[in-house]
Parts: sequence; structure tokens; C-alpha cells
Amino acid sequence: MAGMNRFYSKDSLENLMAFGLALFCTSILLVLLGVSPWSTFIAILEGSVLGLDSLSRVFVITSIMSLSAFALIVTFSCNMWNIGVEGQMMLGAIGAVFVARSFIGDTLLSIPFMIIAAMCFGGIFGLICGLLKTKGSVHEIFAGLGLDFVAAGLIVYLVIGPWKKEGIASTSGTDIIPEMSWFPHLFDFKFPIIPILLFGSMYLILRFIYAKTSLGLKLKSVGSNTNAFSRLGLSPDMYILFGFLIAGAVVGLAGAIQVGSIYHKLVPYISGGYGFLGILIALVSGRKLSIAIVVSAFFACLVVGGSTLQIKLGLHASLPGIIQASIVLFWLMIKASSVHIKLINAVSKSYGHS
Amino acid sequence: MAIVEFEIILAAIISMSAPLVLAVVGETISERVGIVNLSLEGSLLITAMVGFAVASITGSVLLGFIAAALLGGIIALLICFANITLYINMIAVGFTLTILLGKLSSYLGQPFVRIPGPYVPQIEVPWLKEIPIIGKAVIDQNVVVWLSIASIIIAWWFLYKTKSGLVLNAVGENPYSADARGINVKFIKYFYGTLGGAIVGMAGASFSLHSIYGWSNGHTLNYGWICLAIVIFGGWNPVRGAIGAYAFGGLQIMALKLQGVLFGLSQVLPLIPFPLMIMSLILIQYSQDKQFIPNRVRSILFGNQPEHLGDTFKRG
Repeated sequence: MAGMNRFYSKDSLENLMAFGLALFCTSILLVLLGVSPWSTFIAILEGSVLGLDSLSRVFVITSIMSLSAFALIVTFSCNMWNIGVEGQMMLGAIGAVFVARSFIGDTLLSIPFMIIAAMCFGGIFGLICGLLKTKGSVHEIFAGLGLDFVAAGLIVYLVIGPWKKEGIASTSGTDIIPEMSWFPHLFDFKFPIIPILLFGSMYLILRFIYAKTSLGLKLKSVGSNTNAFSRLGLSPDMYILFGFLIAGAVVGLAGAIQVGSIYHKLVPYISGGYGFLGILIALVSGRKLSIAIVVSAFFACLVVGGSTLQIKLGLHASLPGIIQASIVLFWLMIKASSVHIKLINAVSKSYGHS
Repeated sequence: MAIVEFEIILAAIISMSAPLVLAVVGETISERVGIVNLSLEGSLLITAMVGFAVASITGSVLLGFIAAALLGGIIALLICFANITLYINMIAVGFTLTILLGKLSSYLGQPFVRIPGPYVPQIEVPWLKEIPIIGKAVIDQNVVVWLSIASIIIAWWFLYKTKSGLVLNAVGENPYSADARGINVKFIKYFYGTLGGAIVGMAGASFSLHSIYGWSNGHTLNYGWICLAIVIFGGWNPVRGAIGAYAFGGLQIMALKLQGVLFGLSQVLPLIPFPLMIMSLILIQYSQDKQFIPNRVRSILFGNQPEHLGDTFKRG
């Protein structure tokens, strides 16, 4: 065991064990549901990474999920929940469609402006949640939840009102945006370069902020000890607002990806539940940005591969969601009860004796 | 003529709102003791499905309700166990359960999608139904409607007029003081958290067996989230919460009536409780900070959030 410590940190070994156990418990749940875990995971793997089209979708959805998880990790660092992540993503999508429908929508400038608008719209919506928390003393969970549905209402209003389709008002969405506003692919296999660049650069920027700047340090310390933070003459409220602003801007980008890479129009509930999945990812990834990407990729495989489960195994489309949520639930339970640590210690003991 | 129409509309609102009223009462009890059951959306979905499935298989509506109540209680018990015993954040568990239970309801409910099944029958009450307004709106209904109305009265009486209700409120307001006074805080949280979940389970069954007959994916139409908003809008008081639920029922009837005239209204109106929830929370806080309304009046108008709502209780 001592030899192992040279290769693995204690934390990562414990997390790996917790994840393995959560996967094992999820497999038992699948058996109870009358599904073979082995065939399911193989079908998901084949349906997600063994085709160029599906691989491209995995990349796009990984980007969306990672950005959602990053947004959660930022607010978690301030000890705040950001349930409003879905609404912030929807506002990002509104911002992107707003630019795409404008006079620059059919020009080369459209994509950069869509990205900027998505960040601004998402950021402002995040800021509203922060203001409700800091100035209105509204619990951020209820404020976030309320704002999610306010954003959903705003999209419905836009889709059937000012941005309705030519001639008819339908909840199926707005008119398709000009092709110049679609996020381009690289190479023949539809490599989604822009989503990957967006979440990659966000990852690097956030890493830099947290590792090298005083803003990152303050965001973390406002979450860990607000009283000490105030005694230093710093305003906790201001940094909580910063946290929500950054989170909203980050997840606003995911809204731009939904518009630019997937829907090419504004549709009701355009966030597709990815914001809420981002919350689960942030929980499992132990609030670490790099692990959030790995978990996002795994969850994206479940989403993309899961769509083939129905065709290949005749299984219901809800199965990937069951797998995702049960992994998180079991992970939370295992971590809290320290079963994984007890198991590591038991293995280590028997390894030492033998 | 106008009175008859009013009676019909009022009866429709009271009947349509019955599941939401039950869910609001259940969640209010739970939140009063400090437990936020964020799994509400998923809980309602799966208990609606299980209630309908059991009633369809056994042919007994009563068994459907019992099964749903048991399941709702078990789900809430799981949240209590995670939070009170394992010290896991109840928001994290509740949120994860919402997603899991919602998907499980779709998966397990496949054989029951859009099939005809039993429902709660109307009960004829010969003379009383002739009473103006109340006769049509309240008496000429079924057991679910009566149960929903009874739950408001019982919950209010229990929370504000009994010693046990006082203990429940004390634990929600300050579990540490309650603990110091010798109250078994963990047991109280477990008990009322689970009871609240069981009532939510009955609300789920009343969706599929009373309000919207049968089962289909996403059957409860976001009512779990709406219920969370209404509990806050109601200031954690079962009577005000029920008024919120009936007001929401009224909005829905209005949306149905105006659907032909104003397209999209039925999509936008269900979202109204959420801005109202935010505004209520701002008003509660603002009136508390500025003291521009006397405490007694403020408490009647907006209610008070339990001081330790959502907190994990850890004995020193």
C-alpha cells in the first residue's frame, strides 16, 4: 500500500473508490429494474464514442455540461447554491439569438457577438440572483428556482410574441437563425471546435483566477469564513455578487452553444435540463474543475449513448437519467458514510497481512 | 344564472386545486420542522404513477392512496436519514432525488401510460348539496376534495393550537434551543419530515386518481416546483398556502377559458407563482429589516420563515 501512495494521492484514491462503489450500487439498481448493467454500459459506450457523429455530440454536450458544472463550482466556492443555473443558460441563449436575429446575424461578426451577448445576458441574470441574496436576503435556492421559471416564461413570451415565427405563433420555437450564426464544425466528422474552445478557455481562465489571483482567493475565503472576511474590511456581499456574475456568464456560454451548435433557434426550455445536471456533476466532482470535465464527459456519453438504448435493447429513454442521478445519490451516501474509506482500509489491511 | 356559473367555477377551482393543496400542506409541515423536501417534483411524479398503478392492478383506489402515501413517506425518510444521520446537505439529496424519481416514474410507469383505470368516485350527498354555493363547490365533490379541505384545517389547528405543534415549530425555529430543553430533535425531524412526505405522496395519488385521470410521462406538470413556491408565498402557513393553491387553480381555470382568445396564456400562467414567490420573500425580509409594519401584522400578512429551515442539525 505504501508503494501505491507514490502513484495515487489519498484523495483521488478515495474518490475513485467512492465512484466505483456508486457505479456498483447503480448496477444493482439496474438489475432490480430488470436491465443488464453490462449490456447497457456496452450499448452506451458503442452509441457514444464509436461513431463520428455521436462523438461530435458527446463533445458538444460535454462542453455544455462542463460549463454548467463550472458555474456551480464558482458559486460553491462562495458557499452558495446556484439553482438558477438553468435560467442563466436560457438567458445566454436569448442573448445569442438576439444577436443572431439582428443586422449582424448574417455577418462574420455574429458568432463573437453571440458569445459576448450570451455571457452578458447570463451574467446579468446571475447577478440578479446574487442581488436577491445579498440585498433582498432571499435564500439563493428559492431565488434561483424562481428565476429559472421567470427565464422559462420569458422565452415562451418571446417565442409566441415578439420573436414569433413568420405568420404563425407556435411554441415550437422562433425562426431558424442565419447560417452565418451557426457554430462551424472542423473537418468532416463535425468536430465542434467552438464549444470545445469555449469550455477549454473557461477552464483555463477559472483555473488561473483561483490559482493566481486575489479574486480567486477571496471568492474561496468568503465561502469558508464570512466573519473573518468581514473583519479584514472586505465586503462579503461584493464577492458573492462577483461569484454569481462569473457563474452566470460562464453558463450563459452553454446557452450560446445550445443555439449555435444544436437548435439554431430559440425554443422553450432550451436548457434541456443540462443546468440541473451540472449541479449533480459539481457535487460528484468534489467541486474540482478538472474532475468536472471528466464527469461531464461520462454523463455526456450516457446522454448520447442512451439514445441508442431504445433502438438496440428496447430500453426506455429515461434510463440514462436514472443512471446519472443514482450514481450521484449513491456517491453522496457513500462519501457521507465513509464506506469507501472503510473498504480501502480493509483492503489495505489484508494487503499488508498477505 | 351568474350565481350558477360562479358555483361551477368555484367547484372546478376547489376540485382542481385539491392535489396541490395536499402537497402544500405536506411540504409546509415538513418545512416548519426545518426539512426542505426538494424532491417534491420527483416525489409527486412517482407517487402519482405508483398510486395509479396500484389502483389499476388491485382495482382499489384506497390501496392506490395507501401505496402512494407509504412511498412518499419512504422518500422523505430517506432525505431525513441522509440529512439527520449522515449529515448530507438536504438540498443536494432532495435535488438528486427529484431527477432520479422523475426518470424512474417514466421508466416504471411505461405499462400504465394512457390506459383507462380507476378513479375516485363522486359521492352523492342528497340534501346538503342544495345549500347555495357551498353545496356545489364543497359538498357535491369527492373524498379527495374533502380530505384536502380537512388537511388545511387540521394542519392549522395542529401547528398553532396544540402542544405537539408548538414542539414542531420550536424544532424548526431553533433546534439547538429545543435540544437544550430536552426535546428529541432528531426524532421530531424524522417524524414530521416523514409525515409531510406521506401527505405529499397522497397528493401525488390524487393527481392520477382524481385531478388528471391516469398516468403519462411528466404527469404532474411541474406542480412540485410550483408547490415549493406556494409554500413560501404562503409564509409557511397551511391556510395561506392553501389560499395560494386555490389562487393558482383559479389562474389555471382562467387560462383554460382564455386559451382560445390569448394563445400561449396557458404556458405563461403556470409560471406566475415564481415571481410572486420572490416578491413575497423580498417583502418578508424588507418588512423585517425596516420594521415599517408592526410585527404582528407582518406575521399575519407574510408569515415567518422557520429560522433554521434547511440547516443540518449537529449536536455540539
